[in-house]
Amino acid sequence: MKTREIPPGFKDFLPGEVKLKRKVEEQAAALFASWGYQEVITPIVEYLDAIESAGTGADQQELFLFQNRDGRLLALRPDMTIPIARLASTKLREEPLPLRLFYQANVFRCNSPQRGKYNEFWQIGVEMVGASGERADAEVIALAVETMNLLGVTDFQLSLNHIGIFNGLLQESGLLRDEQEELKLLVIKKDLVTLEKELAGWALPGDIREAFLMLPVLHGGLEILERVPGISRVPGAVAGVHELQRLFHALQAFGVEDRVVIDLGVLRGLDYYTGVVFEGYSSNLGYPLLGGGRYDNVMERFGWPNPATGFAIGVERVLLAMQEPPALAEPKCIVAGRDLARVMEAAKRLRNEGWIVGLDVQGQTREELEMLCRQRNCRLVLVD
Amino acid sequence: MLTDALTIALPKGRLLEPCMKLLGSLGLPTQGVDEESRTLVYEFPEHKLRYIMCRPTDVPAYVEHGAADLGIVGKDIIVEQGKDVFEMVDLGFGYCRFVVAVPTKKKGAPLTRFNYRRVATKFPRVAEEFFRSQGLQVEVVKLHGNIELAPLMGIADMIVDIVSSGRTLRENNLVELVEIMESTARLIVNRISYRVNHQQLQPLIEKISEVVKNEGVKK
Repeated sequence: MKTREIPPGFKDFLPGEVKLKRKVEEQAAALFASWGYQEVITPIVEYLDAIESAGTGADQQELFLFQNRDGRLLALRPDMTIPIARLASTKLREEPLPLRLFYQANVFRCNSPQRGKYNEFWQIGVEMVGASGERADAEVIALAVETMNLLGVTDFQLSLNHIGIFNGLLQESGLLRDEQEELKLLVIKKDLVTLEKELAGWALPGDIREAFLMLPVLHGGLEILERVPGISRVPGAVAGVHELQRLFHALQAFGVEDRVVIDLGVLRGLDYYTGVVFEGYSSNLGYPLLGGGRYDNVMERFGWPNPATGFAIGVERVLLAMQEPPALAEPKCIVAGRDLARVMEAAKRLRNEGWIVGLDVQGQTREELEMLCRQRNCRLVLVD
Repeated sequence: MLTDALTIALPKGRLLEPCMKLLGSLGLPTQGVDEESRTLVYEFPEHKLRYIMCRPTDVPAYVEHGAADLGIVGKDIIVEQGKDVFEMVDLGFGYCRFVVAVPTKKKGAPLTRFNYRRVATKFPRVAEEFFRSQGLQVEVVKLHGNIELAPLMGIADMIVDIVSSGRTLRENNLVELVEIMESTARLIVNRISYRVNHQQLQPLIEKISEVVKNEGVKK
């Protein structure tokens, strides 16, 4: 039956799932609000031009595209960073900086469906526009960690890197453009075997070659930054290292440093991020739970040059990572009786007392009602 | 990944024996591990280790989804499946090559002559990407085995397949036209496990690299 099909990669949420999802979103939203972030809502579609000009390197093959009646191409939003950059740069430019904004939204990407990866998925996240420096970065990262703590993702770990280290070494390498592109791809994919072979064939300084081999596997505290060969003679990389050091100290002040490791192999969308980048993981899930970083070049493409940073959390992934979803106990009852006026009066009183009240609208017998209450795990209130 | 134990996905078949040799050289348990047995999961709690036995083509899936932290599988399968896993070490064994092969009478013909022709293969993705990268278009027929039969029976003009000695090709009157790439067994790692269990995994990965380098079990 074709009428029963649902397009691949899309999902219905049943009542129990919605309840959990809402709870996650409400808790996160309340936390964001208490840190001074304000919610915004944007249209589900954007002009393709807006998405492409943002320079986020959004893959057109991943976009759901269609044509507006005026002939222009529209895309379902693939993330919330672009819509918020557009919104902020057009409608909030008179506001005092930094802007602190948050969202709860569905986003759309054409993926091959698998566990935790859908074509439509829900994100909650924040963007801070108009502030740079380690305090801004640390606030956003600490908020991400706090959110995971609040949601009960216990074995949470956040991996931190600075894009400037990789990009600095890349510039210094003297590699050809094509080689640089391939190198980026190999490091992102962590295909260390091909990486080693290719690096052996390319002309680049020995210490930089060594560094590219080490970056993907370096992981730990601040001390690993001193172990990268050649890093100290590349100005871009040195700046990145210093920023990471300052950020790490700031994170200690926020009290979240024990959840954070430095992982020089974390490279997210290199064309887009300009500074600190991070991903959050739980050992219960084969995919990152959240990701984010600093993107100081995006706002200017919307005519409002400003530094910015933020993160997005995958709501479905958080739900998968929460090993035991919290039991949601609620007082429930069914009110039944012959006299509708008295039934309504009782129902109203119970609802005011905080009960979830269902009415018997079918005039069922007492036996039927008792059976129903056992199935639904609720109490029966007979008013006559 | 749900327990303290590391899980390694091992491929049944021709790669299993060198895998067991490698595990032995690392000082990891190998006793009782036998693909003839019906056991699919081997637990070694004293080593905090677990092996699972998979079909080689299934190894990347178990690793990608985090059912296994590590896996051993041929590069041929990795490129065909394009799964999202980290590829950490070239283990050197299980050498084979991807080639385009054609009937002997077309030996030495330029590849361009096969534009718009039909190619039979178990590896449609590899075939498709190779020809596209050469600016050629071909029609790919996916088969599941005995690929050499396809040109004999006239359902394809050429094949893309893995060869080790080349004997099967010769026996079926086929000849290699172009090599697409070489393949050996690789150590793959789940991308989250690598980050979350880094302290445990990185030393093991380094040890494996070391053993492979020293033993020189190269091609």
